[in-house]
Amino acid sequence: MNAAMNAAATVVVRRTITAPPEALFDAWLDADALAIWMRPTGIRQTFAKTEPRVGGSYEITMHGDEKIHPHHGVYQVIDRPRRLVFTWVSHATEGAATLVTVDFLPKGERTEVVVTHEQLPEAAREAHTRGWTSGIERLATFCTPQGST
Amino acid sequence: MGEYKISSNLDAVFSALGDPTRRAILARLQQSDARVTDIAGEFPISLNSVSKHIRTLERARLLRRSVQGRDHLLSLNAAPLAEAAAWMEHYRGFWEDRLAALEKYVLDKKRKRQ
Repeated sequence: MNAAMNAAATVVVRRTITAPPEALFDAWLDADALAIWMRPTGIRQTFAKTEPRVGGSYEITMHGDEKIHPHHGVYQVIDRPRRLVFTWVSHATEGAATLVTVDFLPKGERTEVVVTHEQLPEAAREAHTRGWTSGIERLATFCTPQGST
Repeated sequence: MGEYKISSNLDAVFSALGDPTRRAILARLQQSDARVTDIAGEFPISLNSVSKHIRTLERARLLRRSVQGRDHLLSLNAAPLAEAAAWMEHYRGFWEDRLAALEKYVLDKKRKRQ
């Protein structure tokens, strides 16, 4: 087992928002805030519970018309207002932990929020964006049939 | 909505893709099927370690092996790659939408206070 085998697939999403990093950071840890903005299309209501300390856990339960989507995890890093790291588990992941890192980068009066969501195969704690930040593009080259017959 | 269903094979796929040599082997097989010995000849590593990489790719069901006489012919199986790509597409969309909702939430809150 070499280190490269622990490299995980990674999704990176960014958005620059006209707000100070503190306000954005706090919205990730405040249960009332999460209940509002962690409500994807098709979800009637979201319930959130948080223990905002390192080692503390959270639960975000999304109630759709037919199905309930529970999510839970544990806070790994709480560095206000710079970085938040937590595990992300749901029954849709069959109990497998994935890792979400949120970075808050000040840009004058705006803040760039960067979400990095990683699959964690095996014991891949240290697998931070090792060459797979452009994973989707690379996968796409494999998925595109060449000279299809 | 909810979440993308992760199949139990996806961990093996992501693990297998985490190595540059294995990605190169897949890229090679994308061009044409090849024998294990062809692959070994094209990479500056031992037959033994090529075989190990190939077994890892087989376990992830990223390649198929067919035995023709004494030759083992390898071919790419792209289906698990599509599944892995779908997982990543799903979460890309999920987080893009959540960040848009976070922006709306924070701006609405600011407006109410003013």
